[in-house]
Amino acid sequence: MRGSVFGKLLGTAALLIVLFTVLFPIYWMAASSVKVPREIIARRVTLVPQSFTTQHYEKLLSASNFPTYTVNSLIVSLSTMVISVTLAVLAGYGVYQTKFFGSQTFLRAMLVAYAFPTVLLIVPLYFVLSALRLVDTYYALIIVNVTLTAPFAVWLLQAFFRSVPQDIVDAALVDGAGQLFVLWRIVLPLIAPGIAAISIFCFVTSWTEYLFASILINSDALRTLPPGLAGIIGQYQIDWGLLMAGAVAVTLPVVIIFALFGRSFVSGLTQGAVKV
Amino acid sequence: MRVVTLSGQLAAPLPRRRPSLGYLLVAPLVLWLLLTVIVPLIGAIGLSMQDMRIIGTPSNYVGLENYGRIIGDSAFWSAAGRSVVWVIGNALLQTALGFVVALLLNQRLRLARFARTWILLSWVIPTAVLVIIWRWMLSSAGGGLINALLLEARLIRLPISFFGSAESAMLTLIVINSWRWFPLTALFVLAGLQAIPEELYEAAKVDGASVLQRFRFITLPSLQPVLASLGLIGFLWSVNVFDVIWLLTQGGPSDGTTTLPVFIYNAAFKQYRLSEAAAASVVFGVLLLVCAALFLRFIGSPERER
Repeated sequence: MRGSVFGKLLGTAALLIVLFTVLFPIYWMAASSVKVPREIIARRVTLVPQSFTTQHYEKLLSASNFPTYTVNSLIVSLSTMVISVTLAVLAGYGVYQTKFFGSQTFLRAMLVAYAFPTVLLIVPLYFVLSALRLVDTYYALIIVNVTLTAPFAVWLLQAFFRSVPQDIVDAALVDGAGQLFVLWRIVLPLIAPGIAAISIFCFVTSWTEYLFASILINSDALRTLPPGLAGIIGQYQIDWGLLMAGAVAVTLPVVIIFALFGRSFVSGLTQGAVKV
Repeated sequence: MRVVTLSGQLAAPLPRRRPSLGYLLVAPLVLWLLLTVIVPLIGAIGLSMQDMRIIGTPSNYVGLENYGRIIGDSAFWSAAGRSVVWVIGNALLQTALGFVVALLLNQRLRLARFARTWILLSWVIPTAVLVIIWRWMLSSAGGGLINALLLEARLIRLPISFFGSAESAMLTLIVINSWRWFPLTALFVLAGLQAIPEELYEAAKVDGASVLQRFRFITLPSLQPVLASLGLIGFLWSVNVFDVIWLLTQGGPSDGTTTLPVFIYNAAFKQYRLSEAAAASVVFGVLLLVCAALFLRFIGSPERER
């Protein structure tokens, strides 16, 4: 397969088909969001927009709760990211630095926690969080999202910690540097790509989380974007233009983050997989 | 702060051998998970033996009554059956697609390097968005792209109602969910492919092995550990899928796509049978545990293969 021009052409064509399959629906959403309503629901579909309007986006900003949802999603996702990354870095450093008895079991438990089907947790968590009177607060979502993300974050970070040369760390410790100093000034800069990967993972997971966000939040003022968006679908008359504009707005930050850090995220993700 | 004083005293044996520091650093996360996973699970077992219907209302101890009710409920077992169909359908489609695409991504092409990152976009976009896009593309009203194209090509006479019957709704959901997940499967298989030493292929080539033989005797066996862990995790993840199904069909038409997660959600939050939902969760968890154990026993654990 390698080498021959024909093989290369065939391979490229096949890859293009795969990429088209993945990317076209996303293009279609973006294209539909700038069409005028009449074109959106026309019987004859137009692959390239024949009209251009920002009216759906204007409506999104002025006549919907979208801005509120966005702020809520930002609060929840950023808080989750900070807590989750902090917990994962501390735990990862503990395993890397001391290799304490049971550290391998701990890592395995993190993987089990990540593979654990979260549907089994909806009733239990709802029960406990409402007993604590945390339902319908940001705290409920942040707590749940940290639980959903931290185990895998620890796991992802392992590969990065392992690549830090022990000699450097030992030298600093012999020189009398404190553990936190070593972690902060020596180890963290070396595993920066790993931190980026887990930060993206935590942010994107909480940004897109639907199930818990729809159960644990009742009031519209605290709703995050995914259930907010889904609420528009539930309405009797679906405003497709508005919905597409909303979908684009929710997706955009994810795509931007992905464009910036996607490569290191993908390599972090798959490195962990091979070393299971 | 304690960490600082700890390290201040140390000089001779390298402080990294001090396990107490390790435990101290891992403790916050372990504590967090204990409080948010283990404690709620224990709480749910307690809840499953009550007769609570709505959260916060007074309830009585009823022993195993809810378990009897769930195990005797044909709707529960139908949902379990649909979960089996769902898992198998997703596994077949995603494995086939994942494998082919991984081989494509493994080519030495600039486009392949680009694709290795961007292919994951379908997995990264929010479920709520994915649902909107597919509902819109599959719509049978004006503006529904796929029906419009099929009509224009004269392949069909009337628009297809993709979510109209139980069977077609299930099939459509499986395709959409696989569209979302196959890139991840492909990337995991790709990571396994890239871990295979090139020399193995070179040696086989020298010995005159054909492309198919190399695939059968080098690629497949080397991928075994990755495939085994992917199979198990993929099973647990796909059986867990709720939001795609709920947002597209709400388990309908006529319960045709009500898998176990949808069943539990309905019981807890739509029909106000909270305690029964807790019991159903426990039974579901036990079923999954049995499946996972069987998987490890017969298909192989990743560790033993190493």
